[in-house]
Amino acid sequence: MEDLPVDIGLIYEGERIRKSNMYVDLAGPKSKGAELLIVVPPEEVEDEKIEVIGPDIPDMKEGSKSPFGVFIKVSGETLEEDLEGVFERRIHDFSNYVQGFMHLNSRDIIWCRVSKDGARKGLKLEHIGKALINLYKSEFDVIKKMQITYYTDEKAVDEHIVRARKVYERRDNKAAALRDEDVDVFYGCLLCQSFAPTHVCAITPSRTSGCGAISWFEGRAAAKVDPNGPIFEIPKGEVIDSLKGEFSGINEVVKDKSNGTVDRVYLHSIFDYPHTSCGCFEAIAFYIPEVDGIGIVNRDFHGVTPFGIPFSTMAGQVGGGVQSQGFLGIGIAYLRSTKFLQADGGWERIVWMPSDLRDRVKEVIPIEIYDKIATETDATELEGLQSFLKEKQHPVLERLVEEEEQEEGAEKAEAPVATVPEISMPATAFQGMPVGVPGGGFTIIFKNAKIYAEKIIIKRKEKK
Amino acid sequence: MIIAVSGKGGTGKTMVSALLIRAMAEKGKYDILAIDSDPDSNLPDALGVEVEKNIGDIREELLGERDKLPVGTSWQQKLEYEAMRALVETDEFDLLSMGRPEGAGCYCAANNVLREIIDTIAKNYDIVIIDTEAGLEHLSRRTTQNVDIMLIVTDTSKRGVTTAARIKELAGELKIKFSRLNVIINRVTPEIEDKIKNYVNEIGLEVAGIVPEDELIRGFDVEGKPLTELPEESKAYRAIKGIANRLELG
Repeated sequence: MEDLPVDIGLIYEGERIRKSNMYVDLAGPKSKGAELLIVVPPEEVEDEKIEVIGPDIPDMKEGSKSPFGVFIKVSGETLEEDLEGVFERRIHDFSNYVQGFMHLNSRDIIWCRVSKDGARKGLKLEHIGKALINLYKSEFDVIKKMQITYYTDEKAVDEHIVRARKVYERRDNKAAALRDEDVDVFYGCLLCQSFAPTHVCAITPSRTSGCGAISWFEGRAAAKVDPNGPIFEIPKGEVIDSLKGEFSGINEVVKDKSNGTVDRVYLHSIFDYPHTSCGCFEAIAFYIPEVDGIGIVNRDFHGVTPFGIPFSTMAGQVGGGVQSQGFLGIGIAYLRSTKFLQADGGWERIVWMPSDLRDRVKEVIPIEIYDKIATETDATELEGLQSFLKEKQHPVLERLVEEEEQEEGAEKAEAPVATVPEISMPATAFQGMPVGVPGGGFTIIFKNAKIYAEKIIIKRKEKK
Repeated sequence: MIIAVSGKGGTGKTMVSALLIRAMAEKGKYDILAIDSDPDSNLPDALGVEVEKNIGDIREELLGERDKLPVGTSWQQKLEYEAMRALVETDEFDLLSMGRPEGAGCYCAANNVLREIIDTIAKNYDIVIIDTEAGLEHLSRRTTQNVDIMLIVTDTSKRGVTTAARIKELAGELKIKFSRLNVIINRVTPEIEDKIKNYVNEIGLEVAGIVPEDELIRGFDVEGKPLTELPEESKAYRAIKGIANRLELG
């Protein structure tokens, strides 16, 4: 890249061009713009062609702002449409390698600046394009042909934004519809092991990390950039139970990375082998045996749950990288998953949530259930919750009836969801210990146990 | 050069920060970033700029919408964009306001990313002046650990000086690296100047400069006028210009 007027390199990545050093402002909060990368058949790409529609940098007035669009077409035999997003995000990194050019964010919220120094040296968009093509091709062998069009003409930018948004929408819809069964690779994250040494976060299309920060897409991007980093690929392996979300690949990796402490994980259930909980989860799903339902409390809610304890107290017992029967630390994004606790009945099993949280995810809660989920204004204790659920005819009541019938010996076809009819945990939560798993014949191992009880009476022994 | 200005509340820490920024800016050869890292201070007011959004606001917004962001976008990059947007840009200096410290939630991931973002932004300036709280934890948690010059502002009260001594200890404990730690004594009247200087030296603190009691500043405070409009002949400003010159020489 010797024919470019400015240097290209990693050291310019952190270059932030402040207003007093700025030649032009491109896109950004006071203008508009978008960038788009698409995978097309080879005959639709004119390799290494760079086009500028509208004025180039030297033709812009110093101190002015301009709309800005970037449109990249790539081709290669092994390229898939699904990788468009991963490639597109690298526009950010690669553009920033250009001395005198700043690039922030992605999609239709980009913001770029050219420095006075860069402009003085004769920097043009064509040069940035050249650098980009060079960097892409050397980083990704699979990209065989690449063509870039820059837009600064307002009308052309507007048209480009419309086109780009259609593609984003198509991608997002596809991504939102993506489920565990649609992919062969999951991701694991060990970022929390510093305080939860046995916690291995399994990140799948249907399960975002507990902290809410790493989706399957984030995981894929991170693992692509640094395959040996704390976020890595997990081959899915065999599907052991699709309803509960048990996969041999996850079990193996979790066993290995937790030093054998955890060897089975259900992604979509809070019973039997729930996912371990880190410490920075955004919310906790908790089983309420009295109503055979599940409550959810998020970190921002400072009041008490129907258990009489707030989030913070519960979090202290649930977290730390252990499997807590009937408790699960989750990211808010998991509430939006189509597989949200599907083995336990999904939304039909949810009986209590803080009102803010219920509002926040309103659109994913089945409309017939929404009003039947109690909030802190309806119930802050078990009794109130029980009467609220009765009054609203919450579907968990049917479960209770069904269970009673089952207990009476009535033959019944197996329900499509896993049930835990015999858990008896009257307001008592045990950390790191399976409690009352149906079927009996289990071993109880207390490891670093913390026991929570609604009431503990401690009597001092008489001194001998 | 990163200069952190610290000191007990009410000692004139923000006044010193603001006038130091002004004095450095007037030299006309530096790119200057001011960071308002004390939620109880009013550095933007003292500098006569308005802050639309601070880093705290951005963090809260992100945590409220992160689960709704399109899956293919990166919240880290969004944060970077918003931080740049939060930067108040003037001809003389830029200003970043940190806002309130976080609440009870978990901000680990967001804070880690933010720290990197702010460090990246800060590297683009010749001089960074941070108006920070007396408790230095936030300085180490939120911004860079490598402060070149730590300036501790004290008034002539014994409590002010004791706080200054404690800040020095704290900085050592928190392993905040700095090449110099100096005290600026504010609101000094001629009759006690020597006495207070000696006292500060005696407890092992080096004095960077003395700022005299200035009626003009009191008047500006009462009217809420920015200190950047303080006339050149202000005694306090003249003193701080002197301190700025000495800092510049190193």
